[in-house]
Amino acid sequence: MIDTTSKSRFSIKQLTVIYTIISLLSLLVVWELAARFTSASMFLPPASQVLMAFCRSFVEPIGKHTMLVHLGYSLYRVAVAFAISTVTGIALGVGMGYSRLLEAILKPLFEFIRPIPPLAWIPLSILWFGLGDTGKFFIIFLGCFCFITVNTYDGAKNVDPELMGAARMLGASERQVFFEIVLPSSVPYIFAGLQIAVTAGWSAVVGAEMVQSNEGVGWMIVRGMSTGNTQQIMVGMVAIGIVGFILANLTSALERRLCAWNEQKGV
Amino acid sequence: MKQFLQKHKYKLISVCSFLFVLLVWELVTDVFHAISPLMLPSPAKILETFIYKLSGGTNPDGATLFENIWASLKIALGGYVVGVLIGVPLGVGMAWSRRFELFAKPLFNIIRPLPALAWIPLMILWLGIGYRSKIGIIFFAAFISATVNSYTGIRRTSQVHLWVGKTFGAANRQLLFKVAIPTALPMIFTGLRLALGSAWVALVAAELLAATRGLGFMIQMARMLGRPDVIIVGMLTIGFIGLLLNTVLEKLQNKFVKGAKKG
Repeated sequence: MIDTTSKSRFSIKQLTVIYTIISLLSLLVVWELAARFTSASMFLPPASQVLMAFCRSFVEPIGKHTMLVHLGYSLYRVAVAFAISTVTGIALGVGMGYSRLLEAILKPLFEFIRPIPPLAWIPLSILWFGLGDTGKFFIIFLGCFCFITVNTYDGAKNVDPELMGAARMLGASERQVFFEIVLPSSVPYIFAGLQIAVTAGWSAVVGAEMVQSNEGVGWMIVRGMSTGNTQQIMVGMVAIGIVGFILANLTSALERRLCAWNEQKGV
Repeated sequence: MKQFLQKHKYKLISVCSFLFVLLVWELVTDVFHAISPLMLPSPAKILETFIYKLSGGTNPDGATLFENIWASLKIALGGYVVGVLIGVPLGVGMAWSRRFELFAKPLFNIIRPLPALAWIPLMILWLGIGYRSKIGIIFFAAFISATVNSYTGIRRTSQVHLWVGKTFGAANRQLLFKVAIPTALPMIFTGLRLALGSAWVALVAAELLAATRGLGFMIQMARMLGRPDVIIVGMLTIGFIGLLLNTVLEKLQNKFVKGAKKG
């Protein structure tokens, strides 16, 4: 039952903190005990050891680089591809949403490419771009691009037609209608798209690096797999999870700042 | 005639644009040989390969297209069903019981930001390269969307509806099954669709890394053997099946969920 009143003597905030500590501690304890005293120990390093290794990875290199360098490589790949896909995705989305001619020309091609998962492009991108960074940019670009385009397109399609009519009646030029009305009212949709795209881009870089790379967090976990080093995999997963969390929250914080006028009920 | 053109102007433009791209593609590959067939095969060649694979050709990866599709679908749907069967009750439970939420949410929040792909190495190391590890990976891909959406759906239940139910003496269980879950059903279904999408994507990734059959394996094999026509056939098939799965769920949603908004 969803109750909004708390009957216990603790406030809801205090309860949240207490339960969070209890649940995380019990996870760590079960993990630690299972790793130390059961037959799972062969495949499961104890929690304490993984945490230690995670901290050590910032000073001691894994492979050729330390953790920060690996993260730097991965983030750099995401950043470049994300920037390119933001520009092209917004341009294409607004263009298709605003002009019916552009929509008619480009939408069938876009709809043809959209259902193909970005990672399915990996084999082709290796043939086209070789094993370097370009291929990875391409994969991550595809991962972000579709979300940004679709959301921007939805935004531009959902502009209140009365607003556009009113502006035209008051003598606004088509250019003014586009820049003063269509673009600003798509901004919330664009941000929703950017947020999904960042998460998708981070997932794509992990995938792309796992298939083909010499550095980065994806390389780290797949290297751990081929050498049978569970601890290295887990250290990599911790890093991937933390950065994924930060990226997702960064974009929503940015949205709250830049689009404060569009405060929506949080989920 | 003129009216017809006027009415279907944009559809005609769409068709023309599509045909134009195919024509240019065909011209630069087969006619002018501007791009090597090892980089980009012509549409005609892709069609030929597609028909060959469809009609039972097993080159170059040792299985026909249908065998590969079946191998992929079996695993994707297996992992998906497990993910949904655990994810939906978990989401509903977390939204309905405060105590359970307080305990389970921190654990869920640890797993949530981790892309499903990041589980691949661990799963392969723990469960081998067979179907069990792939089911594990797809489980994580499907489970997260299913949980998040069920949770949000239940949380959106109107407090007033619950009060009305309580006033008329509904038990806690009745409130859950007669008020909250029906309210959440459209959201839950959206979650199911998102989950199926990410399950399919995760499957392709898992098969690229370790498999002996399936669509992901087919395109990876084709890359090693330098057969871009097979790669493109595989990619289009993957995209098409993903679209098909989504459409099926959409139809089910329209049929079974009352009051669901379209789109």
